[in-house]
Amino acid sequence: MSIKYGLLALLERGQAYGYQLRASFEESTGSTWPLNIGQVYTTLSRLERDGLVQALGENPQGQRPYEITMAGRAALATWFATPVGDTERPRDELAIKLALALSTPGVDITTVVQTQRTASVRALQEYTRLKNRATGGDDISWLLIIDAMIFRVEAEVRWLDHCEASLLRHQRTRQETSTAETEVPDQAPEAVPTSTGETTPR
Amino acid sequence: MTVLELRDVHRTHGAGEAMVHALRGVSIAVQPGELVAVMGPSGSGKSTLLNLAGGLDGPTGGEVFVEGTAISQLSRRSLAALRRRAIGYVFQDLNLLPSLTAIENVALPLELDGMSVRKARAVAAKALDDVAISELALRFPDEMSGGQQQRVAIARAVVGERRLVLADEPTGALDSQTGESVLRLLRARCDAGAAGVLVTHDARHAGWADRVIFLRDGLVVDASGPLPEAEGLLEAAS
Repeated sequence: MSIKYGLLALLERGQAYGYQLRASFEESTGSTWPLNIGQVYTTLSRLERDGLVQALGENPQGQRPYEITMAGRAALATWFATPVGDTERPRDELAIKLALALSTPGVDITTVVQTQRTASVRALQEYTRLKNRATGGDDISWLLIIDAMIFRVEAEVRWLDHCEASLLRHQRTRQETSTAETEVPDQAPEAVPTSTGETTPR
Repeated sequence: MTVLELRDVHRTHGAGEAMVHALRGVSIAVQPGELVAVMGPSGSGKSTLLNLAGGLDGPTGGEVFVEGTAISQLSRRSLAALRRRAIGYVFQDLNLLPSLTAIENVALPLELDGMSVRKARAVAAKALDDVAISELALRFPDEMSGGQQQRVAIARAVVGERRLVLADEPTGALDSQTGESVLRLLRARCDAGAAGVLVTHDARHAGWADRVIFLRDGLVVDASGPLPEAEGLLEAAS
């Protein structure tokens, strides 16, 4: 998602100026997504350029509020109606890291997996602690965001478990293949050395 | 005082070529008020660790201490008394006695320990109240939902002065919300001073713990350290 639609959604509630938008944005996301005021004004300029918002005149306090346009409402409705696609998310650095760890000499991929898993579980602990602190009277949107983070990290840990199991299976298959090749050489049976049976299988 | 300590604990099953090393030198300590989660793949030794911690099984090497007492030094009678008085268990298959009501199930360990029936029922009623099901006290297990039965099992595990609560996949097949309420109870019990060990394969459940220990092939391969401050983490996630 971009800040663009977040600001459009806030302006749908009513006109607002930059600092108000920043405060409302952080409040809506439970402060999980801090914005700086520069990002807010840059985004507002782009929205205005694209005809999705329009700037109103300065008020007596010298603030310049914005309001959403009809085109902005249409864009917002389309955004809410459209599922988030994978291509819109940032590239998954972790998946790329694991893929590279497999082929990079001197890198132990199981250590990479475990390091990530520990960090992910630690994040889960912290999110859960925040959730546990929240009481029934707390803002439900804040709890939904915390839950989204918890489920996302849980999915990552499950995927790491899966990666590890796949790697182990792959290693075992390779070992069994190489053991089988050792035990059944391309020679006639009478030529097999008597010590073959001493091979210790793993 | 450390409630539970495993000191270089080993556990093997079988002998000769069939010997399986379930635990190979595990050391952990759990303090009052602390909930420790144990994670790891199937066969990593999680349940073995919990059975040893609860005195349901003995190590083949090393020592298990509960409140400073070496379990191996106890007679069978003393060990049974320790299990009844100090240790509560919550298992996936709840082990509630079907012919007893909720309050009778919770009072049973106290009565076995010599407490009068009247007093045991009063203490059990308080434990059921703590898990918010006092109105179900007279129901039999088959008259309750899975979540309600699990609450009874937790009440039984923490009733009286139990200082150590051991839970093996306690949310079992419960749905997400009910499972979470069970973990909240466990967390609350530890916040109130008990020491807890939670065996789970589910990272979301381990999130309720203060520390998470990862087991692999009978060894501790990693453990989560002190937690960062919430605000810092949220900034990093944004």
